[in-house]
This record gives sequence, C-alpha cells and structure tokens, in this order.
Amino acid sequence: MLDQVWFPLYLTFQIAFISSFLVLCSGVIIAYIFARRNFWGKKFAEIFITLPLVLPPTVIGYLLILLMGKNGFIGHIIYNVLGTGIMFTWQAAVIAAYTVSLPLMVRTAQAAIEAVDSELEYAAYILGRSEIETALIVTLPLAKRGILAGLVLSFARAIGEFGATFMLAGNIQGKTNTMSISIYNAFEAGNNELAQVLVLILILMSILAIILTGRFVGKLEA
Amino acid sequence: MGIKVNIKKWYNKAEIGGKKSAKKAFMLDVNFEMGNELVVLFGPSGSGKTTLFKCVSGIVEPDDGIITVGGNVYYDEDKRINLPIQKRNLGYVFQNDTLFPHMNVRKNIECGLKSWEKENRGKRVMEMLDLLHIEELETRYPSQLSGGQKQRVALARALAPKPEILLLDEPFSALDTEIRTNLAKKIKTLQNKIRIPLLFITHNLEEAFLLASKILVLHGGKAQQFGTPEEIFYNPQNRHVAELFGLSNIFDDAYVKEHDEESKSTILKSGRMQIKVKYLNCRVGDGVCWGIHPENITLLSLDSGSEDQDENMYLAFINSILNKGPKKRITLKFVRHNKILNVEVPAQFVDSLKLHASDLCLVKLEISKVVAFHCF
Repeated sequence: MLDQVWFPLYLTFQIAFISSFLVLCSGVIIAYIFARRNFWGKKFAEIFITLPLVLPPTVIGYLLILLMGKNGFIGHIIYNVLGTGIMFTWQAAVIAAYTVSLPLMVRTAQAAIEAVDSELEYAAYILGRSEIETALIVTLPLAKRGILAGLVLSFARAIGEFGATFMLAGNIQGKTNTMSISIYNAFEAGNNELAQVLVLILILMSILAIILTGRFVGKLEA
Repeated sequence: MGIKVNIKKWYNKAEIGGKKSAKKAFMLDVNFEMGNELVVLFGPSGSGKTTLFKCVSGIVEPDDGIITVGGNVYYDEDKRINLPIQKRNLGYVFQNDTLFPHMNVRKNIECGLKSWEKENRGKRVMEMLDLLHIEELETRYPSQLSGGQKQRVALARALAPKPEILLLDEPFSALDTEIRTNLAKKIKTLQNKIRIPLLFITHNLEEAFLLASKILVLHGGKAQQFGTPEEIFYNPQNRHVAELFGLSNIFDDAYVKEHDEESKSTILKSGRMQIKVKYLNCRVGDGVCWGIHPENITLLSLDSGSEDQDENMYLAFINSILNKGPKKRITLKFVRHNKILNVEVPAQFVDSLKLHASDLCLVKLEISKVVAFHCF
C-alpha cells in the first residue's frame, strides 16, 4: 500500500516541479513579450497560448500525440536524436502538464507586467539600463506577485493534470501513473481504500497550497 | 556646449485620441538653440511640451529634423541617426513619481551609476544626497517619503550620472505652493552649480518667471516665441502668447495710424480710440491687436490731470469693484468709446483714492506697458 501511494506521489511532484520550472522560465518571457511588444500576429499568438485553457484535455492530448508521436513534427526529431520515442514516458507527462499550465502563467504574469507603469521602465532606460536589465531589476520584481500567483496556479494545475497526461504518457504502472491516474486506477479496480488515501492527500496538498500562497502574497504586500 | 533642437513630429488622428473623431491631427514643430542656461517650456496642456521631451530623450522618435546635445548628435533624420535612449546622456525628472518603489533611496540613485567603479558609486550617492540636503533619507523607501522628498530624490537620481542635459517635466505640479517655491529656488541654485542646459516644463506663469533665463512658448505643437521672460511679457509676438502670459485686456480692432519716428512710437487707432504704443514694425494701415496687463494700468484721481489721447490718458467710469483679498479688480468703461478694461490694483490704493462704483476716474496707459502684436 505504501508503495502504491509513494510512487505516484513522488512522480507527480517530479512532473509538477519540472513542468513548473519550465513554465516559469518560458512563461515569464512570453508574458513580457505579450505585455511590452507589438508584432504582427500577436493576437493570434495570444489565442494560441491561451487555447489549452479552454480546450478539453482529451483534445489537447490528441493534438500533442499528433505533434509528439513518432511521425509527428517534434516526435520525429526527438526520435532521430535520442533513438527512442517520448510517448508513454514520464517526460511525456511533463510535456502534457507544461502545455495545460503554461496559459495560467502567461495570463497572470502578463496582467501583472502590464500593470507596471512603463514610465518606470523609461526612467531606467534613461539611467542607462538596457531593456533586459530593466526587465530584471524593475519590471519583473514589481510584477512578482502576479508571477508568483501564476506559478502556484500552474503548479496546482500540473499536480491535478489527468486527461492529456493519460493520452500522451499512458497509464503504465510504476512508470507514468501519477496521483490523478492512480486514483482512477484504484477506483476502477475497486480499491476504495487506496483511492481514498490518494484523494485525501491531494485535498490536503491543495489546502496547504492555498494557505502557503495566502501567506506568501501577504508577506509580499507588507 | 549647448543644445540644438529642430524637429517635426506628426501624429495622425488615430494615434492621438484612439477614436478617429477624437481630435484632429497634431504636429510638433519646434526649433531652438540654448546654452548652459535654464529654459522654461511654457504652454497649455496639449501644446506638445512633453512630446518634445520624449523626442529629446529618445522615448519617441521624431519624423524629421535634428537634435544635438553638447557635441553629440542624438537624432538626425538625414543621416539616419537615432541614438538609443541608453546612449543619450541625459537626466529626466518625470511629472509623476517614477522612483523604483522596491528600491530604497540609495539604490534608486545608484541605478544610473552602473558604469561607475564600485568605490566611486557610494561617494557619488553621498554627494547627491548632500547636494539636495536629503542625507537622512538614504535608507528609506519611496513609500516612506513625502511628495517633495520624492522629487528631491528623483532630482538626485537624475543628476547622479552627470548628465549633459537635464529635463524636468512639471516636477513640482503635485506639490503645495510653499514646497513648490522652495524647490524652484533649489533648482535655480543647482543650475548655477552644475552648469548644464536645463529644460523645465511648466504651465505655471509664476514658476516660469521665477526660474527661466529664457522661455520657449509652445502652442498647438508650434514654438511661438523664444526669449527672456520680460521680452515675451512686454513684446508678445501674437495673441496666443499674450493670452498665455496673462494678458486679459486684448483689443483686436486696431490698425496702425502713423509712426512717430521722433519718439520711437507708433500711434494706433482702435475704434474711436487713439493710443500710442512702442514702435511697431508694421506698415501704416496694418491691422494689429493691442492690450495691457490688468496690473500695469495706472488709475489717477480726476484732479491730477485731464483726458489727453496723445498721452494715453482717458476718462472712464468705474463699472464695478471686485474684492480679491489683497487686490481689487476694477472694471472700467471708457467715457468716449465703448471699451471695457479690467484693472488690478492693491486694495489699499482703492481705499486711499476713495474709488466707488459709478465714479469717474482718469486712466493712464503707460506707453512702455502697452503691448501690441499681430492678431493671428
């Protein structure tokens, strides 16, 4: 029983941490570009990034399979480089979690960056600071509450991810069975006891996340 | 080393108002040169003062022309030069508070000293804190500062990297009158110490007079007049400038009757009134405007003379006397013509002359105080 709990817990955290790290790095850059640059096709790009927020997870999973499968555009490249496919691995679960949680980060961070007075940025430029320096020492520190909120949302979304992960990484015991998938498995197999333990853990974790975010945001405000 | 600005910048309808019908197209068209002096940009809201600053600082790119500061070309349309903001060595104090709220005063000032050696940075920060008398604020955060303190820190931050030019965009507009006057005096003394060109935006006439060695008057995006405050005050080039400088008695029905070469004056005919003004570079018959500031009109009692148009002495009725605290505003109506004149005199003066509404009095319009200009 402990093994049946421990592995999914460990795997889920591993996926959520890696996915959130990637979301943080890329999401903040995308959010900054959306907030501060105008370019041709920006509206389309914004819609494209936001789409996973509203698409059914199975549709996202299906599209990711098209992209990541052996014959898919990216899957083909990965296969040529690594000599093996990425489908049905925990890395595939990271990709699924990343895709569904990125829009949460971009949306929240973009709003936070847009709220930073651009005169502050001009003041920094005039003081000789480059755009990247200004983003790092002025814009992003002032938008950190929004970025942090985006990070928590993304992490929570990655923890709970089910549909796209199920399709892309499959349901392989001891390999890709995350918490959500394990709950489904336990329920299917009639193992109510295990299902209840896993559900309880997820609920407690969610409550903890809410409390921690509340405290953290509170501290930042003070 | 001074600066030279000769630029044009067009804005189309959509860019200005967002909606196409919001405002008509706007063009900034400014040409001036200045040395290490304090020039005040004076004009109503929307006259292009801030846009001019944005062009000089590189936030906005002009469409045509040239900007040089010291020996450096900041912008030259013909040579396709448009120096990035970071490479322009200038100080800018914005109208709004732009101190970085997450950095304390020291860090804010240090922000512009990136290229300085580490040991010199601290020294420079102390110099700046000392220069603006804000040593005690060093470790405070912007949220812990008053409005006046914030702008002092903003000034210190702008001056720290030793800029070639300092741009001040209504830096004191949000402050109380007293603090405002104090800071204006501070700027004046700073100007003598730092010896760089200083451009100061305001739409407060008193502030302009207090600070400026020269004033550049802007209206509708166009430079109207450039000169010392007194020059512009007594010789406004057109009605826009005259009105901006507080001229409220303006008459636009005059024409040049004749020139009096001997006394270097010009005689105008304004309706049925005749008035002598300083020599005006116009042909006889040209239509002109004339006017006089309410404070510059002399009132005399009836026993001190008689009406004499050659001496700009006129008989007038007192229509009304309005109490404005230390001053009184008197509305006069000339006896021989229908012109109405507003006069502002010290309250004491009205009491000593025992002036009352509907009394008769003598009005003298000193030749040196009467201004005449083209009407457009």
